[in-house]
Amino acid sequence: MVNDPILSVKNLEVKFKVRDRVLTAIRNISLDFEEHKVVAIVGESGSGKSVFTKTFTGMLDINGEVTQGKIWFEGRNLMDIKDDKGWEEIRGKKIATVFQDPMTSLNPVRTIGYQISEVIMKHQGKSKEEAKKEALELMTKVGIKDPERRYDEYPFQYSGGMRQRIVIAIALACHPKILICDEPTTALDVTIQAQIIRLIKDLAEEYQFTTIYITHDLGVVANVADYVAVMYAGQIIEFGTVDEIFYDSRHPYTWGLLSSLPQLGLKGEELFAIRGTPPSLFEEVKGDAFAPRSNYSMKIDFIKEPPIFDITDTHWAKTWLLDPRAPKVEPPLVIRTLHQRMLDMTKKGGVYGER
Amino acid sequence: MFKKNNEPLKATKPVKEIEIDMNDPSLFEFQRADDSASEHIAAPKYSYWGSVFRRFFSNKIAVLMLLISLTMVLFAFIQPMISHYDHMVAPNINNSSMHFLKPFTKGFIFGTDNRGNSLFDSLWSGTKNSLIVALSATFFTEFVGIVVGMFWGFSKRMDAIMIEVYNVLSNIPTTLIAMILVYALGGGFKQLIFALCVTTWIGTAYFIRVQVMIIRDREYNLASQCLGTPLWKIILNNILPYLISIIITSVSRDVPAFISYEVALSYMGVGLSERYASLGKLIQQYSPYMLTEPYLFWIPVFASAVISVSLYLVGQALADASDPRTHMI
Amino acid sequence: MEKDNREVLLEVKNLEVTFNNSRRNKGFRAVKNANFQIYKGETFGLVGESGSGKTTIGRSIMRLNPISNGEIWFEGKRIDGKISKEDRRDVIRNIQMIFQDPAASLNERATIDYCVSEGLYNFHLYENEEDRERKVDEALESVGLLPEHKSRYPHEFSGGQRQRIGIARAMIMEPKFIIADEPISALDVSIRAQVLNLMNKFKEERGLTYMFIAHDLSVVRYFADRIAVIHNGRIVEVAPTDVLFKYPLHPYTLSLLQAVPMPDPQIEKAKELVVYDESKRDFSGEKPTLQPIRPDHLVFANDREMKEYEEKLSLMEKDIV
Repeated sequence: MVNDPILSVKNLEVKFKVRDRVLTAIRNISLDFEEHKVVAIVGESGSGKSVFTKTFTGMLDINGEVTQGKIWFEGRNLMDIKDDKGWEEIRGKKIATVFQDPMTSLNPVRTIGYQISEVIMKHQGKSKEEAKKEALELMTKVGIKDPERRYDEYPFQYSGGMRQRIVIAIALACHPKILICDEPTTALDVTIQAQIIRLIKDLAEEYQFTTIYITHDLGVVANVADYVAVMYAGQIIEFGTVDEIFYDSRHPYTWGLLSSLPQLGLKGEELFAIRGTPPSLFEEVKGDAFAPRSNYSMKIDFIKEPPIFDITDTHWAKTWLLDPRAPKVEPPLVIRTLHQRMLDMTKKGGVYGER
Repeated sequence: MFKKNNEPLKATKPVKEIEIDMNDPSLFEFQRADDSASEHIAAPKYSYWGSVFRRFFSNKIAVLMLLISLTMVLFAFIQPMISHYDHMVAPNINNSSMHFLKPFTKGFIFGTDNRGNSLFDSLWSGTKNSLIVALSATFFTEFVGIVVGMFWGFSKRMDAIMIEVYNVLSNIPTTLIAMILVYALGGGFKQLIFALCVTTWIGTAYFIRVQVMIIRDREYNLASQCLGTPLWKIILNNILPYLISIIITSVSRDVPAFISYEVALSYMGVGLSERYASLGKLIQQYSPYMLTEPYLFWIPVFASAVISVSLYLVGQALADASDPRTHMI
Repeated sequence: MEKDNREVLLEVKNLEVTFNNSRRNKGFRAVKNANFQIYKGETFGLVGESGSGKTTIGRSIMRLNPISNGEIWFEGKRIDGKISKEDRRDVIRNIQMIFQDPAASLNERATIDYCVSEGLYNFHLYENEEDRERKVDEALESVGLLPEHKSRYPHEFSGGQRQRIGIARAMIMEPKFIIADEPISALDVSIRAQVLNLMNKFKEERGLTYMFIAHDLSVVRYFADRIAVIHNGRIVEVAPTDVLFKYPLHPYTLSLLQAVPMPDPQIEKAKELVVYDESKRDFSGEKPTLQPIRPDHLVFANDREMKEYEEKLSLMEKDIV
């Protein structure tokens, strides 16, 4: 349990109207975010991870609505905000978001400098010269060389990685308390990805913001996260510190995710794959949502939704396997030997190791 | 079909717990789900045209406009068959008591004009002729424009030539060229339609070409090339269905535009020949009476405005409905 | 040099692809002097970042874009440039492509039935309607989908399912060679394994040869037999998979390897970041070329660099047991 969390979500439920049907994208999530820490939210597309964080800034699509639950931030329930004007205080100012695609996050017909300064002027009420000065500082902070010259350039003159740095700069322009990074490096090359991740980490140190990282890449999670929330079918099915999730996971879905990593695969062997596809959230989910795809499902999984089972102070999972009455199940071999395999691969002379 | 989905989303109420005996040990026995069950798609089948019409008919204004325009079109084509109106003939021309009758007198719904002809008869006959011109011109412009535009968007060689053609043709004012051609060729239907189409097709072709260029390099078109699909099939099966919404928009702009052209040309005296009534001709003929017998002038004006606007709005609504992105909401 | 007695299926010689904007001078050289061979039955990995030219190479082989220089040979016949109609037909029958984006690679307005049958229709590869339907059903089942899906539209499926439909579409043509252009990059992590296993299954069952284009070295390590690393249009290193990972030589290869995120917190958090900056390299001396430092290991270097690499390699070979 987190003392004095910076953001606290209680029993959140989000629904969408699609044609004549109703999609329940978030099915009862409660989560506390500890200040200055990094929480990684991992899940497949359709798990609801983006929707979840969009509720913090009131940016749900027009056909979506929060039908239940509270989000406590700075002593107030964000769900009391009814119109866009109310969100202006929060969005971009206290809670900022960095999105996946830097090409579409920036305005192509305005200079980079203008886009950063505009935010500073609007939210901090500074003058044009003061804003420019601060913008140049920010540009240097995010690693743009020669910011004076690049201030007047347009997005198309920047590479993908640099554009993402600018997007980060804009997000930080108002010193937000929370930075939500929604797959910030998925569209970038792997070498640039490493730099951007490092950048966000360094900036978090300096600016002291809380980071919420949405990603499907477990390698990135291993690098950045303090805590990991694993999402499936609109719920968080496992939560813990990053070590607990990688070295002591308990939910079959987490096992499936970790097992199917190609880094662990041996040539010639079949890769472990979670069979089937996630359930349709248009229909009510009966029991454990992951049961149809799990190799460890029990009769009760198809009847009743599992409650949260605490494993440690910081680690919990929603699976009937943790019920004392359930048969004792060992995680798959590849999970138990994960750390050893990784060590072997990265030691000197190993596959990914030093030369 | 007409049901509107405006109900707000409701929170899920906690379900009454199903009575199960939590102490039953068999509950914790392993049970695996059927593999293929997870591949099954639960949602009802999607039908493109079904969604198009559902979306269109849920738009009340669109339905109203559809009714108005259909009514007018029906009247325009059916009424003249009953009245056998002939613009050249004026049976009451010598009977001055039949001239300038106000609407709803002596059985003349819209009254009579200076020659004693029923405005009701001449109006529908005129509307019919204006519609024939506008719809035919739209059809030819669109047909030629779409065919040319699609090949133009694909062929880089054609592009170089066509751009020059476009630059020339698009700068020639349609009204001017139409006037010259009608003057030279005469005021019959075919000549007027031809005169109107001769410069407008290039605009449609250009519009289509741009759209084709946008989707031409998408992966599914590359895939079709990899599979050996010939160009004409790619255009027909891959590109054309995407353009439906765009084509409908284009048509819905063309029809009122051509009605306006016809009205303008006839007003200037270079539209259809004297033999035929048309909306423009009527407006021109009755403009001297604008202040004295206003009904003679304003009723044709109103009619041409109503038919133009209603057809346009129907087209826009249909274009909107045929865009698959709107089917999601 | 040890001569391979494996059959060469595809050979690319001095390939150069330049995109010009019809302004005479400026042209973007996407691929610069690429040379490689692909042997029958192997999986050849082509790894590089975006803009490196890897997709361009794949598409050039498929004749989707023209090449400005060089030759492409398939089964001993030239397949680039102007070729006869029969040869073009052969290319399509023998080489197929799997695309990256499951959202864009299927015709949204066509049923799955049409999507999968498109190639069959083009060459009339069926006897009658029942035969065609049977083939489509088989193709769908072979990728783990159900025949009832035939009448549905692409947007009703998930990304992973769409990608499988794309694979079915390629496999139904019974090709010999498949170019897979980043087939799993756009898929969810848990679905990637499904698709990779599927591709492996076809490889075993049908004796296929693959060219696997990717930017993720960890996936290529699992899937490919030999790997070529491409950077800025130039192939900088080619070697069998285990050799490349054990003895990487080119600095770009090193930086790529280093950048692969490891799903292990203790290791990741302790990792040092290595940035490959081409402008910092010393290009003095003669022009570098792609040359063999061992019979099966080529690296892009000039003579001076070759000496350095040789020293390094000898050290590495002694270190690793």
